[in-house]
Amino acid sequence: MVKVIYEPNKYLKMGSKIWPQMLSEIIECRELTWRLFIRNLGAKYKQSALGYFWVIITPFIAIGTFAFLNKAGILNIGKTDIPYPLFALIGLTIWQLFSSGLNLGCNSLVSAGEMISKINFPRETLVIASIAQAIFDLIVKLVLIVILFFVYRFIPSWKIILFPIAIIPIITLTLGLSLFLSLVNGVIRDTANAIALITTFLMFLTPVLYPISTKEYLFFKLNPLAALINAPRDLIVYGYIKDPVDFTISSILSILVFLICWRIFHLVETKIPERM
Amino acid sequence: MPEFAIKVENAGKKFTKSLNRSMLYGAVDIMQSALGVLPNSEILRKDEFWAVDKISFELKQGETLGIIGPNGSGKTTLLKMLNGIFMPDRGNIEINGKVGALIQVGAGFHPMLTGKENIFINGSILGMSTKEIKSKFDSIVGFADIGDFLDAPVKHYSSGMYVRLGFAIAIHCNPKILLIDEILAVGDAGFQNKCLNEIGRIRKEGTTTILVSHNMHLISTYTEKCVLMNKGTAQYFENISKGVQLYSKLFQNDLKMHIDKNCNGNDNIHFHDIKLSNQFLDPGDDFVVELPFDSSIDYYDVDIDLTINTAEDAVKYFQATNKAYSKIIDLKIGSHKLTCTYKNIQLNNVIARAGITIWSNKRHEMLFWWSIPLEIKAAKHCTGRNFLQILYELD
Repeated sequence: MVKVIYEPNKYLKMGSKIWPQMLSEIIECRELTWRLFIRNLGAKYKQSALGYFWVIITPFIAIGTFAFLNKAGILNIGKTDIPYPLFALIGLTIWQLFSSGLNLGCNSLVSAGEMISKINFPRETLVIASIAQAIFDLIVKLVLIVILFFVYRFIPSWKIILFPIAIIPIITLTLGLSLFLSLVNGVIRDTANAIALITTFLMFLTPVLYPISTKEYLFFKLNPLAALINAPRDLIVYGYIKDPVDFTISSILSILVFLICWRIFHLVETKIPERM
Repeated sequence: MPEFAIKVENAGKKFTKSLNRSMLYGAVDIMQSALGVLPNSEILRKDEFWAVDKISFELKQGETLGIIGPNGSGKTTLLKMLNGIFMPDRGNIEINGKVGALIQVGAGFHPMLTGKENIFINGSILGMSTKEIKSKFDSIVGFADIGDFLDAPVKHYSSGMYVRLGFAIAIHCNPKILLIDEILAVGDAGFQNKCLNEIGRIRKEGTTTILVSHNMHLISTYTEKCVLMNKGTAQYFENISKGVQLYSKLFQNDLKMHIDKNCNGNDNIHFHDIKLSNQFLDPGDDFVVELPFDSSIDYYDVDIDLTINTAEDAVKYFQATNKAYSKIIDLKIGSHKLTCTYKNIQLNNVIARAGITIWSNKRHEMLFWWSIPLEIKAAKHCTGRNFLQILYELD
């Protein structure tokens, strides 16, 4: 027999006992998360002629534009150790894992507003499912990257198999920030617009489409996203991580952000349905 | 095993009227939780009010409770609190057993996906495992009775099909506690009976049920106890018929019991000393109005409009002129008395208004117009608005 007690500030009163409950909730609802992910995937490109093709159209157009601007001399991207389109596509793929994950995650609660205010279910599933969507997009683009390897006759290091591990920190960071921002968006709808704007401009301030120049080295060092994006790319391009210290610091930071945001989410999620 | 399925103690929930303040308070809530500050949620901040206030009741396993009350009295909020969607801001709620809630069937359906896909998604959301859904799939489809539309996107469904599918999924969750919010209002009579039959079946299996409805017949036949809500506060009744009676009273108190004497005559004719039989009637009583008048001219072939309307009906319950009874009435010079009798009023448990309007021939001139409130009491064991004379014969 399941016994549940609802009372004010129930989770706040639990203190640190909340952690095992949070973990078991995530494990218990993995099937629902999977269903929601499949649902989003299935519904996203319904009644659309190009369907999943959209996943690869966007990066192509972005890189095409940059390659053109670079060639025309309008933008000076600097020298890359591998063909520029390949360099840019890998960077953009990892960046979009972060940016589209954050945008989808931030909107996940609000776009399921009716469900949230009418049905009781673990709401983190919605956020996790939208991050899973971003990971799925990443996998599709990885296939594209492999095709480009053949086109440019580029042989990556065998350490490319460590790539999935190297992107874990950025996924953790995306999930953590999404958990927090989805709550804030539930209360203040400006959040989603702000995030869309910020991620657009943040891309240009992060070495995604260009390599880090030595001139502004300190500026990039202070941006934790730089290490999180460059480390997985380094693994593919060079076979080792150029800046392991930065990557480690950024990774630890990501995990901390995730843990804090996850806890806040669990504490506040019960107060969101009434604001929907 | 605890004896009760639901125990509500002094539970309350507050809402914010202003959207801007809602944003502010929401942001404050997030900040406080982030910092681990324990807020005192029992204090009303500016623009906040108790949507549900200090409710207490207990429900044993297998019992059925009705929640009744006018619109906006907090019924759905209470149901959402029992479901755990809203956390109480004061008091506490204890639930023993898996809760299945039909607050809005089809919430969580994705319009672009097919009925089949939605069965799996909605089933998961309501807490079923994939294995469970697969084993119940045929039964769900059979109950929903949507035929070929199973593979069509649900956005092409009629509202009836939508509800049928939603109800079919929800009822297959095997809840120990079932919460139902006025969902049977949609769907045709056939489906309603099917649902009630299903609710009856799981009730027999010991499921505790809570029904929210405006349908007093449903409430008084399906539930044993009730909570009557009004403006956030609630009264709890062990005896269902007492609650239902008080519910009707809520509406009746809003009506004025005074007679509207809109027109008593003109320069030529005057109605005075009008006598009414009784404004408080039992179902089946006669209502008699005596109209003595003095007239200085002859009014041949007048029209007498008699009406009865109840507060809830948009259309008049009764409306007819004397022509409907093939009666020609002349109001002649001198002092006379006109008597109108409403025979055998077949209303039940309702406040009504009887209207009497007298027109000169061809309705050129209004001679008299009164509107008289009537209170018709409730017959025992009868919950509808009408009380018909029924004959029972047994061979």
